[in-house]
Amino acid sequence: MNSATATAELRRPTDWKGSAMQNRIRRRYAAERRFKLLGLLSILVSAAFLAFLLVTMIGNGARGFTQTEIRLPVDFPRSSLMLDPAALAGFGADAALAGADIEGTTAAAADAAFGAGGARLLSDGAWLSVRDAIKRDPAILRGKAEIWVPAATAIDLAAKGNAAPAAEAAYGKLQKADVVRTGFNWTFLTRADSTDPTLVGIWGALKGSLVTMFVTLVLAFPVGVFAALYLEEYAPRNRWTDLIEVSINNLAAVPSIIFGLLGLAVFLNFMHLPRSAPLVGGLTLALMTMPVIVIAGRNAIKAVPPSIRDAALGIGASRVQVVFHHVLPLALPGILTGTIIGMARALGETAPLLMIGMRAFLASPPGGIMDPATVLPVQIFLWSDEVSRGFVEKTSAAIIVLLVFLLAMNGVAIYLRNRFERRW
Amino acid sequence: MNDQTMSAPLLHPSAPSPASDGGTLKMTARNVNVFYGAKQAIRDVSIDVTQENVTAFIGPSGCGKSTFLRTLNRMNDTVSSARVEGRITLDGEDIYAPDMDVVQLRARVGMVFQKPNPFPKSIYENVAYGPRIHGLASARADMDQIVEKSLRRAGLWDEVKDRLNDSGTALSGGQQQRLCIARAIAVDPEVILMDEPCSALDPIATAKIEELIHELRGRYAIVIVTHNMQQAARVSQRTAFFHLGTLVEYGDTSEIFTNPRETRTKDYITGRYG
Repeated sequence: MNSATATAELRRPTDWKGSAMQNRIRRRYAAERRFKLLGLLSILVSAAFLAFLLVTMIGNGARGFTQTEIRLPVDFPRSSLMLDPAALAGFGADAALAGADIEGTTAAAADAAFGAGGARLLSDGAWLSVRDAIKRDPAILRGKAEIWVPAATAIDLAAKGNAAPAAEAAYGKLQKADVVRTGFNWTFLTRADSTDPTLVGIWGALKGSLVTMFVTLVLAFPVGVFAALYLEEYAPRNRWTDLIEVSINNLAAVPSIIFGLLGLAVFLNFMHLPRSAPLVGGLTLALMTMPVIVIAGRNAIKAVPPSIRDAALGIGASRVQVVFHHVLPLALPGILTGTIIGMARALGETAPLLMIGMRAFLASPPGGIMDPATVLPVQIFLWSDEVSRGFVEKTSAAIIVLLVFLLAMNGVAIYLRNRFERRW
Repeated sequence: MNDQTMSAPLLHPSAPSPASDGGTLKMTARNVNVFYGAKQAIRDVSIDVTQENVTAFIGPSGCGKSTFLRTLNRMNDTVSSARVEGRITLDGEDIYAPDMDVVQLRARVGMVFQKPNPFPKSIYENVAYGPRIHGLASARADMDQIVEKSLRRAGLWDEVKDRLNDSGTALSGGQQQRLCIARAIAVDPEVILMDEPCSALDPIATAKIEELIHELRGRYAIVIVTHNMQQAARVSQRTAFFHLGTLVEYGDTSEIFTNPRETRTKDYITGRYG
């Protein structure tokens, strides 16, 4: 006591107005300004990157969602098509259509309508539109009909103001004849992959992604949440749980290609599950997502105040009741956030899926979890590798679809999180 | 459980065995030692808690009074390093016996904590949670009745009856603590342990809780840990003074505060340390 008063007396009173003190204060304010400026700068830089990405993607991709079509007059009775409308009424219609030379008829009709080489104005798959039109209404076979068919890539690009002069000229002629239109490309949203950029669709990959994500979520979410709950609420603190904790943390940092190799070795070579199937993709991605969910889940569970546990235990709730009535509902928003981060990473993952064969060319969407499928990022990867110029905008369009999917997924997570937070 | 048992004086048929000092013995502790790992927190404490009296535990910080309180309903079980030796009984039953169900024990020996800790649910759900998990009400009407009765006993009914669906955490600190008391008595306990229930409250809220303790006395055996010696003097009939993990003195509150036998008790009460 005495010595303390002694030192206080020895010390000179603090000079708050002195130049050293004023300098210190100035430096402090300068540091604060610098820090604020830096923060603002980082925000601006990231916003600029985001804007750049969105502008280029939407600029390129928006064109991928439209398709130029040509009105093709077909004179069926005069064509070489040997098809009896009556044969298309009942069963056997598909067989009859398959047997007929619609492709040749379409080409001939194009040549007749637009002069020699007219067939080249049409997409390779133009005859499919003719076939569909016949299938819809066999009666058109009795006379002349006008059918909208997709234009060739060159014409399509010309319509979007992005093509060689020759194609521009051809497009100009078609425009003068008033037989072209550019509209929303529904095919893109309903079909699967194709070799012709005018005929490709994203639905196959989108469905593959949906199914794969479903498998991932169903496997990774419950296992991750239960692992987190057990480790936080039940597991004794000892060397074994420490080891498990370290392993899980390391697992979350393992490069995804290694999970792909693991999936290849275990699910395909050892368990003989079907190659390229969403089931295998989902299993592989679940392995990758689970550690993320466990880590996020443990943090969320740790953040539940112990007083809530005490309160529940204090009125005689059992451990399981404490966990399921109080801890889990309070931790759920945090767990969901972690899950969505893990799922978003899984959705964008390409490498491990290449390892298990989800990069095959598939012209039809998967029917279930055992069918061969591809997913959005792999589809983007495949299209970006294509030589044909028509694929450039399709790639951008696919990226937009992937981003919209991601946004939708995040939206659902945010909705769920808010709902659970409101309930409490 | 129906209301008859709720309102009947809570004397267990097996309980009555008159204690030396006039009360009916509810809980007894004999030669209790508590260890956290290698560290001993409680040394050889023996104490009787009676049905009719409010028992106060006083003592300086870290003297083990809260630790000891938590052994009475085995809340220390949640601390993995904690170890309890000795014998503690509730109505003559050893609560540390292997066949004792902890969940039931905690329903019979309720607890109110230092910091008000209502569940982040509605006021109604806070009170109804205990009876629900123990299956004390079969119909919605029964539950309504239990909730109302518990809130009335906790002196909170008039303040919250119009907003039972509001969140319990939206109440003021004092109201939250009374809600916690209502929650504890909703499961119809026999003993209520209070761990410094007023330390986070202002004087007016404290006065209300103390009033409440007076009203609950007799219906429930009450044990209260407090830092505030005036509070111990006001609310309790029996006082135990703890120091450094030992029970220094235990007796009638009036005796302890006016005529302590031990010098350590006297020093603490007169403010020499603590």
